[in-house]
Amino acid sequence: MDAPIGPASPLGYPAPYWFVVFFKVLGFTLHMVPMNLWYAGLISLLVTRLVGGEHGRRLSDRVLNALPIAIALGINFGIIPLLFIQAAYYRVFYPATILMAWPWFAVIPLLMVAYYGVYIYVIGPRKDKMNAIRRAAGWVAAGTFMVLGFIFANSLSLMGNIGAWVDIWQSANVGGAVLGFGSNIGDSTLWPRWLMMFGLALTTTAAYVVVDTGFFAGQESEEYKRWALGFALRLHTLGVLWTAVTGSWYIFLTLPGEIRAQLLAMPLLILTFLTGAGIGLPWLLIVASQRRFNRGVAFLIGLTQFGALALHAVSRQIVQNAEIAPYLDVTAEPVNIQWSPMILFLALFAAGIGLVVWMLSQVVKANRQPAAG
Amino acid sequence: MHYPWWYVPMLTSPMLIAAVAVIHVYVAMYAVGGGMFLAVETSYAYRTGNKDYLAYLKEHTWFFILLTVVFGAITGVGIWWTIGLASPLATEALIHTFVFGWAMEYVFFVLEIVSAFIFFYYWGKLPPRTHQIIGWVYAVSAWFSLVLISSITAFMLNPGAWVDNPTFWTGFFNPQFLPQTIARTGGSMLLASLYVYLHATTRLRNHDPALMGLIGQRSTRPGLLGAILVTAGGVWWFLALPESARAALAVASTLNIMMAIIFAATIIVFLMLYFGPYRNPKWVTYGFSLLLFMVGLAAIGAGEFVREAVRKPFIIYNVVMSNQILPEEVAALRQTGYLEGGTWTRAYIAAHYPQVMTEDGRINEAALLELPESDRLEVGSVLFQYHCNDCHAVQDGLAGMARLTQGWTPEMIRALVERPEKARFFMPPFAGTPEEADLLTEYLASVAKPFPAGMRLGTNQ
Repeated sequence: MDAPIGPASPLGYPAPYWFVVFFKVLGFTLHMVPMNLWYAGLISLLVTRLVGGEHGRRLSDRVLNALPIAIALGINFGIIPLLFIQAAYYRVFYPATILMAWPWFAVIPLLMVAYYGVYIYVIGPRKDKMNAIRRAAGWVAAGTFMVLGFIFANSLSLMGNIGAWVDIWQSANVGGAVLGFGSNIGDSTLWPRWLMMFGLALTTTAAYVVVDTGFFAGQESEEYKRWALGFALRLHTLGVLWTAVTGSWYIFLTLPGEIRAQLLAMPLLILTFLTGAGIGLPWLLIVASQRRFNRGVAFLIGLTQFGALALHAVSRQIVQNAEIAPYLDVTAEPVNIQWSPMILFLALFAAGIGLVVWMLSQVVKANRQPAAG
Repeated sequence: MHYPWWYVPMLTSPMLIAAVAVIHVYVAMYAVGGGMFLAVETSYAYRTGNKDYLAYLKEHTWFFILLTVVFGAITGVGIWWTIGLASPLATEALIHTFVFGWAMEYVFFVLEIVSAFIFFYYWGKLPPRTHQIIGWVYAVSAWFSLVLISSITAFMLNPGAWVDNPTFWTGFFNPQFLPQTIARTGGSMLLASLYVYLHATTRLRNHDPALMGLIGQRSTRPGLLGAILVTAGGVWWFLALPESARAALAVASTLNIMMAIIFAATIIVFLMLYFGPYRNPKWVTYGFSLLLFMVGLAAIGAGEFVREAVRKPFIIYNVVMSNQILPEEVAALRQTGYLEGGTWTRAYIAAHYPQVMTEDGRINEAALLELPESDRLEVGSVLFQYHCNDCHAVQDGLAGMARLTQGWTPEMIRALVERPEKARFFMPPFAGTPEEADLLTEYLASVAKPFPAGMRLGTNQ
């Protein structure tokens, strides 16, 4: 049977494909930074608070105190890839999410539970009044974020597993209408994909700890800073190993042979190598930071971790296109470029960045001065 | 048809959009109006050196962040989530028309979040002037996001010249754009005042009555102005409605009731604001604020419901019909068959009834009528799900067909199926062949409930 993919929109892409996919990948990379902090960071720092002694407790409180802001930014940064995925991949995105409509819809209440759970939790350290309810809220939030990660991995992998759609649909429908309880758990790529992001998220959390120590922990003791850097190294190492194992599982044991062959042949081999080796660079810098540490090193570690995430996002995009390619050529749709809205958006984007930088500069200035009025 | 259809028992999946949207609007409007309130009032408090008022405003900002940045932001994403699931074809059209409008809105969202957190967490740490500027960055960004989203929702009700000249700007400056922007701006100001009263009376119950009086007095004028803008925008909205939408408003009893609620509740809110905090600040107690808040929510919720409902039979007026069909597809589907024209309906028939497929892979419509009765009913069910379930449940529930056709003869059902738009102008036309009309009729007749027993009508029925 042919894949049930609907016709192209008569309106065409509003921008060239490369533009759409660039913002999709950029947006996803930006989204990954805060998302990684709640996905693996929350649970690992809750554990650290329990077993890490006084410094572990301090570190956990410091990082998790910033989590509500990270979640707000992460949700916002998620809008851009969600927007552009619908612009170019609508013919596979909508069917995949509709097939698993209820879990996909459940993202909204689950996210609400997790977000408010984090707020309830952080009030404990902020007011120095931790209690059982607040602790429980933290753990519930951490578990919910893991479930959310699984739902996302499920729906986005189903987007590329077009060959499975009909069976999933036929297994539960009413008069051909889907019941919305489908899932992609039969796809062997799903599990390593979900777990690989967890490993990557551990490394991002570790990198964040370094950045926090370098830039925001000025009032902490030297002993704490040394401990935090050591913790970051252990966490990053764990993340690297985890990513290496699940990444190998994903590429060598689950990915379809044709796609694997593409990734392991030139010219994509270079990208595949860089993606795998990419998280090695921040790891090496964290190792070096144990001997010599300053803000420049912290900045470099943050930057290289961002680069590693960007490489992952690019590779994921290439795999997604390769999965879809037998059924749909997303680059071959009509294009009807909206020049003036595009230029206006880019101008606003640049102005917005400028304004954000100005606001942050005011914050930095305020941090350096005694309290005003 | 182009996409799989999501079956939600009783409620129908598009009603989930309405549910999420109304809940979201209650907070989203406050996110805009509350931003204006905080910017204006913080400037006022700094100017007058009122430290008590500043302390209250800081506390209000925390409540504001907890509600708008979490609940408001997530339900906002939730609308997107839900429209993609329940109205994928309309979402596809909106995305391809307004992707840059949404992208611009995203820029404003980022500005809102960054400024809101700095505004709160750096309260007392920033110089007053900088603090006020950050507050205004939030307020202006939030209002621009309102303008952008108002244009898109207004487009759905009346795309105007876009139908003949489909560009971003013809769609953006549609006939409903200004009325909805004015009404929503007013709604935001009004709702923000109601939130302020409710929050202030909750938090300051045992505090200085002078501060409570100041808050009541300061928030009344924006609230009254908001009510006036809602009314002005609402009247303009009504005048700019397509004729069919105005007719739908007049003919549907539910919408009549909703309109009555909107007018009555707006008047009540106006009077309560005027005679309460404006003339008699001492009236503003927790109970008064709660009542005012509930009446305000009723007005705004009813307004959103009406705004969604009057578009029938379209999701995007003259562009996408409520059952996920483009108007220009109807004629072809009547020739080739709805089941054949739909990506998923054709896949279903090919998988379940290969005997009706021709050698070139098309559905033989006549052969469908030769299927056993149970199979014919199943095919009729497919037609119902994809063609009708957007607005109609099967049995009980939202406009359940079993109830709507209670006591009908198959001939009556057949007449409705063939020309639904003639029976009710706000129904989409039937986009199938006569054979498919037979199958759908047979299915609807099988689910229709019998004429209710026990009624004395003076006839032989």
